[in-house]
Amino acid sequence: MLETLPVLHQIPSKPWMPRLSFAPKNTAPRGDTLVVVFLRGAADVLNMVVPHGEDAYYLLRPTLGIARPDDSRKMKEERTVDLDGFFGFHPNMSSLLEAWQSRQLAIIHACGAPDESRSHFKAMELMERGVDDERGPASGWIGRHLATLNTGNSSPLRAVGMGTRPQRSLSGSVPVSALRSIADFHLGGDPRALQQMRAALNYVYQEDALGQDTLSIMDTLQKLDPTNYHSPITTYPDTEFGLALKQTAMLIKAEVGLEVSAIDLGGWDTHFTQGSMTGLMPNLMKDLAEGLAAFHADMADHMNKLTTVTMSEFGRRAYENGSLGTDHGHGSMMMVLGGNVDGGKVHGQWPGLEEGQLIGPGDLAVTTDYRDVLSEVLSKRLNNPATSDVFPEYQPVMRNILT
Amino acid sequence: MTLSRRDFLKLATLLSASAALNACAPAVRRLTNDQPVVPWSPLSVADFTALNRITFGARADERARLAEIGLANYIEEQLDFETINDLALDLQLSTFDTLKMAANEIEAVTNQLFDGYDRERPVNELRQATFLRQLYSKRQLYEVMVDFWSDHFNIFIEKEPCFYLKTVDDRDVIRKHALGNFRDLVWASAHSPAMLTYLDNQANVKGTPNENYARELMELHTLGVNGGYSQNDVMQLARCLTGWSVKEHFWLGDFVFKEDQHEPGEKNVLGLAIQESGQSEAEQVIEHLALHPSTAKFICTKLARRFIADEPPQEIIEKAAQTFLATKGDIKSVLRVILLDGLAFAQPKYKRPLNFVLSALRMLSVETDGVAMHNPLMQMGQMYFNWTTPDGYPDTSDAWQGSLMPRWQFAFELIRNELPKTKHNLNGLLDVSSTGSLHTDVDSLASLLLGTPLDRLTRDGMIDTVHSAGATPEETLQIIAASLIASPAFQWR
Repeated sequence: MLETLPVLHQIPSKPWMPRLSFAPKNTAPRGDTLVVVFLRGAADVLNMVVPHGEDAYYLLRPTLGIARPDDSRKMKEERTVDLDGFFGFHPNMSSLLEAWQSRQLAIIHACGAPDESRSHFKAMELMERGVDDERGPASGWIGRHLATLNTGNSSPLRAVGMGTRPQRSLSGSVPVSALRSIADFHLGGDPRALQQMRAALNYVYQEDALGQDTLSIMDTLQKLDPTNYHSPITTYPDTEFGLALKQTAMLIKAEVGLEVSAIDLGGWDTHFTQGSMTGLMPNLMKDLAEGLAAFHADMADHMNKLTTVTMSEFGRRAYENGSLGTDHGHGSMMMVLGGNVDGGKVHGQWPGLEEGQLIGPGDLAVTTDYRDVLSEVLSKRLNNPATSDVFPEYQPVMRNILT
Repeated sequence: MTLSRRDFLKLATLLSASAALNACAPAVRRLTNDQPVVPWSPLSVADFTALNRITFGARADERARLAEIGLANYIEEQLDFETINDLALDLQLSTFDTLKMAANEIEAVTNQLFDGYDRERPVNELRQATFLRQLYSKRQLYEVMVDFWSDHFNIFIEKEPCFYLKTVDDRDVIRKHALGNFRDLVWASAHSPAMLTYLDNQANVKGTPNENYARELMELHTLGVNGGYSQNDVMQLARCLTGWSVKEHFWLGDFVFKEDQHEPGEKNVLGLAIQESGQSEAEQVIEHLALHPSTAKFICTKLARRFIADEPPQEIIEKAAQTFLATKGDIKSVLRVILLDGLAFAQPKYKRPLNFVLSALRMLSVETDGVAMHNPLMQMGQMYFNWTTPDGYPDTSDAWQGSLMPRWQFAFELIRNELPKTKHNLNGLLDVSSTGSLHTDVDSLASLLLGTPLDRLTRDGMIDTVHSAGATPEETLQIIAASLIASPAFQWR
């Protein structure tokens, strides 16, 4: 009876082999590996990269505003950490200072999409598809990037969506698997039962690309030993986001052919008591910054072949609401982290927060389209010249964010 | 077999006394002669598909009933849900005390000021009850609609204080009106403390409105994002909704309109001039929104997407929307159009995780208390009331493809009877419909899980494959059962 078969959940332990290549030849990415971090819920970027040189910022945010770097009425750890005399990091973003100072982190402020619906779901849908309106192609922008760039990479781990479901941006003709936990990506059972299950699954999935990919990923990941993975340099935050970044690092080091990793960090819809120094949003910023800083340190030797981008569907209202939160706004902010970034610099034209400079009900304007940033990453770092296929009907402007 | 109310109470008391109530669940079903295992025969693709849209996965007795009375009558029988006896389930749920409590009583259960408090209990009971209802209720269409509205009016249960308020919302908003009238449903939802706090309306006060609920009420609950409202309408509706809040002391957790927090003055929403009139201002707007043509179209599109196809035919949506408007939001009338006219156009839909798990359990007549499903469902990405954003779990096929491993793990663990307090009796089940050879067993299983047996070549190839991998005949049947559940075909309904 199968009921009585012993169940072995543990894979026999092996020493971590970070440099051992498991993938067949010709599966290395043609360009950089791309990591896309999506901050879901519309991050309040004005409290992340603070325009402390704007008087209007402090008038609009009397309680939520982050103090100027030289504001002696506040404790030092409650003040903005100055970046360039005008902008500064929220204190909880300061773990990114090292990347900033090493010029590997660029910020593009007042960046975003033309859509002004202020609807999370419409904005995310359009942004992940990389289109102006719902009539555009149904596939995602990363999906079209993978389809247009023939790297000869047949690895089933060419692109992964970290989490329980692949991100909308990944959808397209190339099947993409979701990966929540490398450690859990295996079937239980003794070797004999495993062989039978594998044979049966291979049979029922013989004509299904995603099923074959899943079997192949299972075989590949079995050779990794995620529980023994540690970076000598750094510790990742003990969060889903930290795990996603750590697993991305693991896959890159194992050379399994990873070209794109899509990662979500949700919870940014802070209408109510978002917190300035402690609370909901400061915690999210800490997770984001510490995760990216750990990834940056861990991947120091790979920075020349790695680009990380953060984005969010839109920004939040410039003025705080009556419940110590912020409502849906417009302009957002992107960060680009990598070895070939024109970093240590806030890019983009700053539209200002004065009356007459804000748009709609009082929102930061967009002066850089998010597709300008992504197109530059695609063409300069991922060697994909077909940006007009990835972003149809859009003429990107090169902003020289990358060197 | 029918039981009187007195018998019910006696049985319920008997069962409450037992600490291991759920271990008694099979006994309950035997006692009440509920959901017997009956023989099954192959179904047409159309009938199998229809049944898998109306239910959470076609059980053998439901197949028999459909064959007996035909699809149209089956739909009518399911729509008339109050006449369907659900005694065994009611008994099984009789110890879930928090389901019946008022908000302040549930809060007390979770409040450390009181003895025996348990922060997790209301959430656990609600989740487990929802699962058991979807699994065992004979009012399947009703439960499918409860699930639909739970997504439509999604509330993330972990957001304070929804962990105790959602139980009330589930009972008094969603379950109360699931097959009632849409206007009543959206009205109840707007007065629901769980919804108001989930979307921050308790913080929507005069002078500095909070737009969160006002926006989603139009974007997600009624008109739809392209339904013809503007940012100004959002801000105006938010002003109407100032002061819609939740009691904090006496009758904690009940709805309250706080006059002193309400913004004075006239408002204008969607071209409607709203005179200053306190609570009635937003109520006038809700009346307008509930029966707006954009709402009819939006709701009917979502229903058609749930029951028919990811891209449902426009004619069905139009006809359903006309019925919606003509009947002033009568949900049963709209469903008749969607199901009776629409099911003929059904296209395959990828099973959402809950649908995948429930269909396997229902088709194999598995006995479980549901607790063991929590981890697999979390791995697959769908647990009740756990979707954080107000749009609810996605309902299109492409949103769920790309994560097979957790489904494969579940299939094998289920068939090996490794999930705690979860048992199938595959052999007993097959004794009812198969003659006992491995080949007829596989035919019967495939018919049960996929509607019809596999073609002979595929079936024989599968048996050979598993056999060649070293399985004994007994193991072969188990591996094949698990592989059928793990197979591409079973992922679609």
